[in-house]
Amino acid sequence: MDGIDWASSAMVAARTRLDIATGNLANVSSGGFRAVVARGRLTAHGAEITRVASSEHGSLVHTGRPSDLAIVGDGSFRVRDGGGNVTDTRNGAFTRDRSGVLRDDAGRALVATRLAPGASVRTGYLETANVNAIAEMVDVLGAQRSFESAEKVVAAIDGVNQKAGNDVARIK
Amino acid sequence: MDRALFAAATGMAAQQANLDTVSNNLANSEVSGFKGASQSFAALAAPGERGLGTTALGEHVVFTQGKLERSDGPFDLAIDGPGFFVVRLGKETAYTRDGEFSRAADGTLRNALGWQLAGITIPADASSAKVDASGAVTVTMPTGARTIANIRLAQFAAPEHLRAVGGTLFYATGQSGAARLVTPGANDGPSIRFGMLEQSNVSIVESMMQILAAQRAYEANAKGVQAAETPDQWKIISTITTGSTRYCLSLSDITGKKHSDSVKASNVF
Repeated sequence: MDGIDWASSAMVAARTRLDIATGNLANVSSGGFRAVVARGRLTAHGAEITRVASSEHGSLVHTGRPSDLAIVGDGSFRVRDGGGNVTDTRNGAFTRDRSGVLRDDAGRALVATRLAPGASVRTGYLETANVNAIAEMVDVLGAQRSFESAEKVVAAIDGVNQKAGNDVARIK
Repeated sequence: MDRALFAAATGMAAQQANLDTVSNNLANSEVSGFKGASQSFAALAAPGERGLGTTALGEHVVFTQGKLERSDGPFDLAIDGPGFFVVRLGKETAYTRDGEFSRAADGTLRNALGWQLAGITIPADASSAKVDASGAVTVTMPTGARTIANIRLAQFAAPEHLRAVGGTLFYATGQSGAARLVTPGANDGPSIRFGMLEQSNVSIVESMMQILAAQRAYEANAKGVQAAETPDQWKIISTITTGSTRYCLSLSDITGKKHSDSVKASNVF
């Protein structure tokens, strides 16, 4: 790998960081959402970003509605849609339908609550997204800066290559 | 259109929907019997990819009890506990928690919009009337006190699925189930408070905080849009969700040129 490959891998990494930060920011109001954490590392092919789901719990807010549930500790709510697809979620915003089944706002039925030892369910509370909006905004700006810096490096190397191609070749 | 722009733009659209809901709550915070609504959001995800963006799942009415306040109207009623007054206008039946009624010329009790409290007519020669906790309406006639009717309350299996009209009036739907009439005043059921009104369940302070938070989040997402597409000023034209499978977004740049994109999200979290 030469310089231009390293710099372009840095540009790709910066775009990925931006994708992750904007995705997290978009979900600042999604109940029970777990932020995606960008983990950067250097490989033989340049800078690489991997996505890791954050395991940090969101904070609990009191709603007073008896069908709102929040998990204290590790665990998840298992919901099933009309097509039988099952999803595990931390979002416990349910309402009772006319036959008494608890359903989330996407219409999926609560079929099980899976709790780790020591975890419990609190009624009348909801878990907020665990997104730190300020940190994500800083990351948006940081990703933008690193993208621009890497872009400059690419332009500089490109300039040197051009000089080598045009001027050096001209020397008699 | 790239991922970051899509995510940030869906975030802006979601916060816009959030602001609309909270502003409507705030605008009606002084309306008696008004029930505030809340928007809910979910993350869009595709296999192996989370946090593609967000989507508003729609708003639902929050039926928590409002504070009861003493009032001076001669036929003001409030419900302490779950349930609705049954009101009629022509052939239509609706349900409300707003108990601000007044006596019409024909002896019926009607609210400001002209809806009549079902089953109650005050005789013309009654000098006064009162209602007890179990809904019994007692009038004072020249011949003495007489109980003329009982107010019954409607309850639903799934009140969140009632169709709201203006925040105080509700219609039954197939999803809410049919109204079940109950007599108030039982031990574990609702009861009627005469000479009181239920205030809206919207907290002004909480709504203001929600507006501030939504504005901050909107600005943060706008920063994301800027970072993703620095040269252009993007404007969201529309966002369409179809089921939980496809999310479409339409944007226009500074020249008015339209860009559309859709993300196939297999799930919402």
